[in-house]
Parts: sequence; structure tokens; C-alpha cells
Amino acid sequence: MSDAHDAHDDDHGHVDHGSPFIQHHYDDAQHQFDSGKLGIWLFLAQEVLFFSALFVAYILYRVHHPEIYSYAHKWLDVKMGAINTAVLIFSSLTAAWAVRAAQLNQRKLLIACLGATIACACTFLVVKYMEYSHKVHEHILFGRYFDPCVSPGGSELLTKHNDCKGTKTTVEWSLAQDGNIDLLNGKATGGCMEISKFDQEPHEPGVQVECKVFELKRTRNAKGEWAEASRREITNRCPEEGLAEIESGKKETPKFPCWRPAIQPAVCVPVTVANKPPSMQFGVMVEYGDEVERGEDMAIEAKCDAAKPEVQPADIFATPHETEKLGEKAIHPIHQLTVHEEHELESLGPPPEHTNMFLTIYFAMTGLHGIHVLFGVFVFIWLLIRAVKGQFNDRYFGPIDFAALYWHIVDLIWIFLFPLLYLIH
Amino acid sequence: MSATEHHDDAHHGISHVAAARVLLATGSTLLFLTFATVMATKIDFGANINLAIAMLIAVTKATLVILFFMHLRYDKLFHTVVFVSALLGASLFVGFTLMDTSQYQQTNIWQPSRPPAAPFGPRPTTG
Repeated sequence: MSDAHDAHDDDHGHVDHGSPFIQHHYDDAQHQFDSGKLGIWLFLAQEVLFFSALFVAYILYRVHHPEIYSYAHKWLDVKMGAINTAVLIFSSLTAAWAVRAAQLNQRKLLIACLGATIACACTFLVVKYMEYSHKVHEHILFGRYFDPCVSPGGSELLTKHNDCKGTKTTVEWSLAQDGNIDLLNGKATGGCMEISKFDQEPHEPGVQVECKVFELKRTRNAKGEWAEASRREITNRCPEEGLAEIESGKKETPKFPCWRPAIQPAVCVPVTVANKPPSMQFGVMVEYGDEVERGEDMAIEAKCDAAKPEVQPADIFATPHETEKLGEKAIHPIHQLTVHEEHELESLGPPPEHTNMFLTIYFAMTGLHGIHVLFGVFVFIWLLIRAVKGQFNDRYFGPIDFAALYWHIVDLIWIFLFPLLYLIH
Repeated sequence: MSATEHHDDAHHGISHVAAARVLLATGSTLLFLTFATVMATKIDFGANINLAIAMLIAVTKATLVILFFMHLRYDKLFHTVVFVSALLGASLFVGFTLMDTSQYQQTNIWQPSRPPAAPFGPRPTTG
């Protein structure tokens, strides 16, 4: 075999390979370089297909659930992403320059370029680490670990398994049976009601921003009709202060603004129903815009006394989805929201369903990309060591060229990831 | 551009040597386009147009990287064939997956606490 090649070499006059790293089974340096180059291009083609699977997941989910993208992307810091993009582009430049330096036998410049590339790659990883650790800290994670403490707009979120660090307490969620909160059996002691109890189209445009949630008490008047006896605002009040304080009427400051009912995370209702006369009813009313939607699902009746356990939940709000115009003084001025304000508001509310999928895709894509960057760091360190030893010259610089090509593909993928993940409008 | 390239970047022995000016120009164009794409999102053209702008810029950047940083412009045609066929494969992948996008109804998530209403009519006989 080698005899045949040697004979072949002699035919072409390539006795001197120009580098001890030219393998004997290649005709010459050119042959070795071309073979390696074809190999790395095939590998890059495979990389494109490899990442395309994740891009398919991204595109498919974005087509089907655009709302989670427009909501969740605000958790990502554009500044961080832009810095990383610039860092990667600069490192691509230094990597390309390293190839040039190797080809021109500029050893010191080659070492400098490889060093700069490694430094940039490490900078990228450090920024990525900062982004990831922030998300881990705030529970903005993938799959079932998605349980964010803050909304993209920065408001605190009440989550079902809320164990966020800080001042927040655990919020007890009471899932209603058949749409009714089971306050009578005490299951919802100080609990919160889910947003879904408010039967409201989530993305209805132009709905008044400022919603208020009231706890209503009604009594029967002389004619036997129910009339409102008292109304107390409980907008977004949750039992962080403890139920006793709520009952004693201590003024609570809302932890975050209440927006439209549909995107309001929870309404907390203190249980004050015990030992109330049967002529009194309790309910929760949500007011927004110029209409009042009465949460018929939340209609509850006072527990009159312990001797009558068979109390039926009263139908305080007789008509389902009953809405009625309020008097002028109860009306908040309607403000037609601009698109920008809509987004701002949504980013303050809780995440729409399946938002965890955005984070899953985000972590899968940036994670796989990050692993590539990490691998690139090791490759460039190896090349740096070899460059310091002076193993590259104009006849043998294939490893530099191939690593640079790999690095450019990593940069290329980030060029797409950055606008797709960080710059969603 | 091609007129100036041939000063110091002829085929140097084994492979093409990229001209310093080309590398610098590519790098600075890429950085500028990064800045441009961030700025473009701050202006509201409507979601689709904003997405189109961002993708156009990304494709331009990618093309610059491929042509000049990755030397594909000066490289063997076969490497272009390999790479473009990978892109074609990826676009087939995306295209076939998205083909039936509009063929589905809204998915209803089953919530045990709020089961959907039972259908009207008699209960189907078993067996």
C-alpha cells in the first residue's frame, strides 16, 4: 500500500510534505487538507440537520401557540443576547483570522487569534451562565419545573407550587368541584380562586384594564329580593398577612396590579361565612370596563348555622354570565389599549397555558448550542497548545481551518437563535 | 469587491487565504447588522413584518458568514453542494412538518375538575 503511494508521490514529485503531520497514507499536504475539509463540511451539514430538528419544534410551536412566544420572550434579556451575539461574531472574526495567520506562517498572530477566540467563547458561556442562573433562581424553567416567581413584566406571580425565595408565602389553591368553590366545607380557607373561574375571553381586545374584585354581601330586603348590603374590594388580595388580619379589616396593599380578570392570577377570598344569618349571601364580583361580570361560579351562600349542614349554594347571581351596566360612579373610565400597552399588561399577568414549552424550547436550543460552544473551547485550547508548540505552518493548518469552520457554524446557529428567541415582537 | 481581493489572497499553496480587508469588512458588517436587528424590533411594523425583517437580517448575516468567514465563495463547488443540500434537507423537514398545520382543531385539555359536558342523546350501548 505504502509502496504504491510512494510511487505515486514520486510521480508527482511530492517528496517533501512540508510538515511532519502529513500522514503517510495521503499523497501530499494538499490531499490531506482536502480530505479533512470534505470531512468537516459533511459534519457541518449534519450539524445543520441536527439543529433543524429543534428549529422544527420551535416553528411548529410558534405557529400553533404564538401567544406564549410573545409573552415569554420578555423573560429573556435582549441586552445579554445582543452582547453574546456580538461576542460570537467577534470570535468568528478571530477564528477566521487565525486560519489566515496559520496560512501565512504568522505564529504569534495565530496564537493571539486563538487566544482571543477562547476568551470570547468563555465570555459567551459566562453570560449564558448568568442568564441561566437567573432563570433557575426564578423558576423560569422547562417542562414541569416551570413555575415562575415573576412575570416577564416583573410582577410577582402566585403559582401553584410557589416556593419562591423572598417574602411570599405559600398560596393555597382550592380547585372547585363542579365550578363552585367549596367554602362551606372549609376547603378554601383563605384560598385563592383560579382565573378560569372568571368566564372571560382571555384575549378580548380593548377590555378595560383596571379590574377590581369585590367581595359582596347581600341581604334580603323587605320584598324578599336580594340587595347589596356591602361591598369590599379584595382585588388581588392574598392571605400573605394571614387570614386573621384580613378579617379584622386591615388594609392590604395589592402585591401586583389587577388587570383584566382573564389574566388575573388569583382572587383570594377570606372565609368569613361562618355563623351568618341565612338572609345574607356572599359573592365575588369582578368589575372591569363599563360592565360588571358577576362570577356566578363563585356564588356561595353563607353558612347559616352548624345545625343545617344541607345548605345549598345559593344562586345569588341568577343568570349565568350576567352582565349589567353599572351606575356612573362605579364605572372606571374605559381606555382603549394600544398594542404596546396590551403587551405591557400581558407581561404583568400570569403566563398563558403551555408557556413552559417556550422555556423548554429555549433551554433545548440554547443548551445544545452552549454545549457546542463548550466543545469549541476545548478544541481551541488544544489548537492553542499545538500553535504554541509551532506545529502549524502554511503546509499544515487543516485543524485550524476545520475548527474555525465548526466555530462559524456555531456562530451561524446563534445568529438565528438570537432573533428567534430574544427579539420576538 | 472581487477586484481588490486578489492583492493578497490568491490561492496560497494549499488553500485560499482570506484577505484581511474582507475579513474586517465582514466582521464589522455582521456587528452592524446585529445592532440593526435589535433596533428594528423597537419599531412596530406589525408582528409579521418585524419577524420578516429579523429573519432577513439573520439570513443576510448567515450568508456573509458562510461566504467569507467560511470561505465558501472561494472553496470547491462540491462543499457548497454539500452545505446547500443540508439546508434543503432542513427545509424539507420544516416544510413537511408544517404541511398539515391548518388541519387540526383546537385541542381541548382535559381538566379533571372541569370535565366537558356530556354529549346529548342516549348513552351508547356497550358491546
